[in-house]
Amino acid sequence: MDGIDMQGVGSSPHRLEIMEKVTGSAEYIADLSRPNMLHAAITQSTVAHAKILGYDISDAMAVPGVVCVLTGEDFPDGRMGAFIKDEHAIAKDKIRYFGEPVAVVAAETEAIAREAAKRVIVKYEELPAILSPEEGLAEGAAIIHEDLDSYIKVFPAISSGNMASYTELNEGDLEAGFAEADLVVEGTYDTAPQAHLAIEPCGALADIDKQGRVTLWSANQSVFRVQANVCESLMMPMGKLRCLTPRVGGGFGNKMEPHIQPLVVRMTQATKRPVKMILNREEDFECVRARHPFKVRCKTGVKKDGTITAREVEVLLDCGAFGDDSPGVLGYSLLMSLGPYRIPNSKASGKLVYTNKLRFGAFRGFGNPQVAFAGETQLDQIAEKLGMDPLDLRQKNLIQPGDVWFGGGQVASNGLQECVDKARAASDWDNRKSRTAPKGKRRGTGVALSAHISGLLGTGAIIRVFEDGSVALNTGAVDIGQGSDTVLSQMCAEALKIPLEKVSLASPDTDGSPYNWGTTASRVTYTTGRAVVGAAAEVEKQLKEHAAQMLECSEMDLELRPGGIVGVSGSDKEVSFHQISLRAHWAAGGPIVGHHTWVFNQPTIDPKRAVCSGIPFPQVGVFSFGCLIVDTLTDEASGKTEVAEAWSAVDVGKAINPSSVEGQIVGGFVQGMGFALTEEMVWDGPKLANPTLLDYKVPTTLDTPYNIHSIIVEAAEPDGPFGAKGAGEIGLVAVPAAIANAIADAIGGHVHSLPMKPEKVLNKMLEIEDAT
Amino acid sequence: MLTSMTKTDFQKPKTVEEAVTLLKEAGDDARPISGGATLVALMNARLVQPSRLVSLSAIDELTQCTYQSDGSVRIGAMRRHRQTAFESNLKAAHQVVSGAASQIANPPVRNMGTIGGSISFADPAADYPPSLVAANAEIEIAGPEGRRRIPAEEFFLGWYETALEPGEIVTAVILPPVSESSVGQYEKLCRIAGDFALASVAVTIDFNASNTVTSLRLAVGGCGGGPIRVEAAEQALIGTKLELDAVVDAAELVVAELDPIDDVRGSAEYRLKVVPRLLQRAFNNLVETREPAQ
Repeated sequence: MDGIDMQGVGSSPHRLEIMEKVTGSAEYIADLSRPNMLHAAITQSTVAHAKILGYDISDAMAVPGVVCVLTGEDFPDGRMGAFIKDEHAIAKDKIRYFGEPVAVVAAETEAIAREAAKRVIVKYEELPAILSPEEGLAEGAAIIHEDLDSYIKVFPAISSGNMASYTELNEGDLEAGFAEADLVVEGTYDTAPQAHLAIEPCGALADIDKQGRVTLWSANQSVFRVQANVCESLMMPMGKLRCLTPRVGGGFGNKMEPHIQPLVVRMTQATKRPVKMILNREEDFECVRARHPFKVRCKTGVKKDGTITAREVEVLLDCGAFGDDSPGVLGYSLLMSLGPYRIPNSKASGKLVYTNKLRFGAFRGFGNPQVAFAGETQLDQIAEKLGMDPLDLRQKNLIQPGDVWFGGGQVASNGLQECVDKARAASDWDNRKSRTAPKGKRRGTGVALSAHISGLLGTGAIIRVFEDGSVALNTGAVDIGQGSDTVLSQMCAEALKIPLEKVSLASPDTDGSPYNWGTTASRVTYTTGRAVVGAAAEVEKQLKEHAAQMLECSEMDLELRPGGIVGVSGSDKEVSFHQISLRAHWAAGGPIVGHHTWVFNQPTIDPKRAVCSGIPFPQVGVFSFGCLIVDTLTDEASGKTEVAEAWSAVDVGKAINPSSVEGQIVGGFVQGMGFALTEEMVWDGPKLANPTLLDYKVPTTLDTPYNIHSIIVEAAEPDGPFGAKGAGEIGLVAVPAAIANAIADAIGGHVHSLPMKPEKVLNKMLEIEDAT
Repeated sequence: MLTSMTKTDFQKPKTVEEAVTLLKEAGDDARPISGGATLVALMNARLVQPSRLVSLSAIDELTQCTYQSDGSVRIGAMRRHRQTAFESNLKAAHQVVSGAASQIANPPVRNMGTIGGSISFADPAADYPPSLVAANAEIEIAGPEGRRRIPAEEFFLGWYETALEPGEIVTAVILPPVSESSVGQYEKLCRIAGDFALASVAVTIDFNASNTVTSLRLAVGGCGGGPIRVEAAEQALIGTKLELDAVVDAAELVVAELDPIDDVRGSAEYRLKVVPRLLQRAFNNLVETREPAQ
């Protein structure tokens, strides 16, 4: 079997589900239906902040075909939230943002449900709307969550008034660090809210059986988080809800925590019929979640030779109406705010403030791209003042193998130097000034470095050996389109030395899958991969126990051979998985099942090194690194900037499936480019002004450079599966900063605000022209 | 009655007269449909729910583009943007129109959308309106009272409003004769490929043998309710050789006439700042790419 391509680790087989996706037969939530199914639609609030005085649902109920209308009065008082339990399934008593669901209508068709939903009347007593963190913190501001003090919080939250959370990290002696500096640079940077815009909007379908047990399918990133959130908000025992997943059309963080799943579950309970609801694009924009707008104050001290002595970072985050993942985003952004550099004296602190906007939450990068934009552009500003090459300045301060992270967390693998070297060489960085621009354009080249984690929380895997010797893998990890089904199967095949086709993968199911916190935090390859490797080792052990008895030898003398065979070392005596499994099923020992579960448990903070408060995660993850260089062209007439070429070197430990890793690098780049240049959710008073693809613009293929060079670096993570660590987010983190630095190289100054749309760039160009 | 559940009557007449009659008898809720690029999007968004759709796609005369003996070009209302973008009959200054067509949205929309449909919707940020004003085009309209022709400038009344009366449809766009020495240029600024214009400028110019401007028309898009033509700026440039100073002065006259608003594409302030720069570039490109006079 040695000559057979097993499609194991390091190869790039097609996605397991590729045929159904390219032929359009893959089933997403909108494709599902059940007999006798109802369709549901939401009524959205038309004010941002108000007390609910009452409802009139008679007009809605009068529409022929309407079966049920539910309002906040029909929902239990349970509250959900990943960090702060502050959110009901639907608005109850109060409205906290414009567009918030206030009622749900179920009807025989979607058109009827949508029509009736417009006829639900809600009586409001309006309250002053808080539309920015500054307004939220102001003296005498209207309070969005009056009961914040009594809410359950899963971390040592520091909160009061409209401040949901305050977090602070300190290392070294900040004052002494700045005193030591020859140059101190300070600036403020802001970033705009970005919509996730997964190609598939959110949706859910629930059905109820005769015992009142509910089955729920939904667009999600974790069936287990769906189960937890629905059960908390509807005050249901977890055993009364089974969560499943169809194919998922992208997530980026949007589908990790709840959207409309609790509404659909409550409606199926009320009607005893299957109920389906699919948000349209506008609703998906208005009432799911988005990337946090950040205001960052960053101050860095350096010596003349470029050695960084101190950094202080202060962030202000708009939380939106509910906590969701925001405390995590705040804490994580602070943890990453020094970048991958040795900075001995530092302080990072931030406030998260409730406002009357939709909740801001997890989005690929999780707060890291925003602080990287500030920190990495500030490094270029320092390099300019010192007359140093920007990459040389970074090189001088690079975190080195063996160094710990800000806060004291261990960094076991570090391929950053190789990323820098390879991106520098591939982009011909040292000769960048010789590149010319077409007439009417200015060319710039920029660099930014990044680090990101993969890890967090609990995961498991179960591997069973079928009677024919093939295996069933069950992890509970949802493949949201990034390819984890294929990657986990490849790891299982590799560990057991069987061809990929001998691994069948179970779809996530809270009834039958081991717990998986979710497809988020760049974690599935690393954490679930470790569980798969652990479960495979358990299966190998059991196979060998059987084989030892069948071949009458010691287990110590046995080895796995390619193709599903256990053989005696140095001998041609062997037995197949098929033969072993038949024996196990029918004669002795029992069917072979291996499992492994674990929780990421490496501490983030070393209390001997760092003084911290309000930290949301005690144990975050292992580190991936990246170096990104971009070439941009800025139009002299308008300030509009396009990326001409990009070189993205990323340390992923081990590329289990190299073409999927390249897909992550390129996809992350393009999404980061949208964040950098065009994407921006804009509010007109309390209402989102651009909740459509006509008005909210993501880059198209024509706006994307043809050459985005993916450079894979593999610094093996010692405890990673085959050395692997995460690749899902790292490719996005440095993009806005690198583009900002390229634009500054082109026009002679930095834009401090995302997106760097033509107007901001032109204004900066004119400002520089006026000054010279 | 649920409007979203109403049935739409669909008709496909063979002549303009038949189409006009079908529209008239169905009243205000009837809509003509040509390529559907705009109307279907509006229907999907439930902004328009026509009781009757009268398709213009089977009317032969609307699908033709003809070069007429007097040198004018007649573009049938059903001509797709892609056809206009590649139209071999459009030469010299007429290229302001083919240039605009080639920059509308994306290939699927250009294959679908028509010039008649586009101008009838009259989006102030669309590409044809300023280009047709710069080209001094006339719009041919058919209605219950017969046919009439009006200059493009009088057709676009501002903010999705046109001179079309109820029951009327656009049948053709007529571009006047142009001399071989004339040139046309359409410059568009948009956020991403395929977006509507944040701002656009359209210019047509003719020169004499010594490269002096003998005639010039310019119009700006995306900076008000419709295309904005600035005759004072045109006059200021006629008789010049488009020297930088002359262009800068004329651009100031243009800016004075703009009436932009803040919207999600860009601020009014930015539009005022960027239009003169786009104009300068359009003139520069024209001067540079123009073959030297004999």
